[in-house]
Amino acid sequence: MRHFQMVVVHRRDEFTGDFASEPFEAAWASEAIVFLRTEEISYGGTIEAKAQISADGLNWIDEGTEFATQTEPGNSFIRLRHFGGWLRINGTVSGTAKITLQIALKE
Amino acid sequence: MSLPAIALQKYNPLTTIITYDDFDRGACGWLDLTPNFTEPGHMHRATALDKSHWGAPMLSTSTFGLVGTHGSMDGTYSLKLATRPVANPYEEKPAPGSFSHALKRLSMHRTIQRLQMEMWYAYTPEQDRIGLGEKDIRAFGMFFDIQDHEYRWQPGIRYLNSVNGELAQRWQIMQAADVTDKQWAYGREGEWNIRGIDGLWYGERRKDGTADAYSEVPGTHQQLVYNETDDKINWLYLRLLVDFAKREYIEFQSMDRVYSLRAQKPTLTRPYARIEGLLNPIIWLENDTNRRCFLNIDSVVISMD
Repeated sequence: MRHFQMVVVHRRDEFTGDFASEPFEAAWASEAIVFLRTEEISYGGTIEAKAQISADGLNWIDEGTEFATQTEPGNSFIRLRHFGGWLRINGTVSGTAKITLQIALKE
Repeated sequence: MSLPAIALQKYNPLTTIITYDDFDRGACGWLDLTPNFTEPGHMHRATALDKSHWGAPMLSTSTFGLVGTHGSMDGTYSLKLATRPVANPYEEKPAPGSFSHALKRLSMHRTIQRLQMEMWYAYTPEQDRIGLGEKDIRAFGMFFDIQDHEYRWQPGIRYLNSVNGELAQRWQIMQAADVTDKQWAYGREGEWNIRGIDGLWYGERRKDGTADAYSEVPGTHQQLVYNETDDKINWLYLRLLVDFAKREYIEFQSMDRVYSLRAQKPTLTRPYARIEGLLNPIIWLENDTNRRCFLNIDSVVISMD
């Protein structure tokens, strides 16, 4: 049976301007879906966000996968594979947004 | 002898092993504490302390940039508790994210005489700055959240490593001072957590490292193996033994030193609704400055007789 874990990395956290999620170790998993739930967003605001990978959890590089630009409350996701040991989401909020970030990992 | 049997030889379990969690097999039911999302919109009720932003535990390879992967004692993965890079001074209410916390939700299945928790673990901060980060880890500990047929009680220990940047490096036991529920909960009336419950983050703390939630244990100053840099970790042994039938502490062991806790009593509180028979082991870590700090747990054994 394959291992699975869904972790809530950010729970209704408020972001404004440039942000990065908490780093998450995911070496055991071969695939991930990152769910970005926009709980609240200020009028006219946008969320640009993308996946980043790292060798050590400190130095981060764009993985190349990006979320569609978020402009209203709702759910979005990205699929990732072959990401090594660490994952995080990096982005920019124009205005303010309350975000829940979940990572679903599978071996 | 099977590999699990060999791996268990580094433990000293009581007669009945309730759980043996080696995190090479996954999270084994350990996850972080969250508030009760019972309010409209799946929100949680207001509390004096924000309990919705503790750093989430993860399966870790203990990897560092210039060292590579430590792995764990018996394989590759340990359960890593990771704080966020936020902290308040010791004597203030803990900042949301300054703790990381993992628990396993169990219940009693027979009459317990003695109850024990053991773990092999390592601790270090994120290597995001030069120098030695030992003093940036404030404390870590483990305890049981128990509700028997009469009382709720939480016997536990913590290693107070650092207080506002000054190394303390002594052990304390969970034992509440004679304060009111309101004093316990940062002056808030009607907090869910009454005196004696969740002392890891409730109760007044003072600059000398004392706290309303903890009692000092004389003679327990101990320097653990921290090693020479933040990217070299050593696996350490910790064991807490409780006389469940008498609701008393018995002893704890850190590395090769055993400390008697005989005649010390945990704080008994009134029972809470719907949790009679609750038996949750809990492990946690707190940082001392605005820095991610990590507690890596190789494995945990819960046993009883």
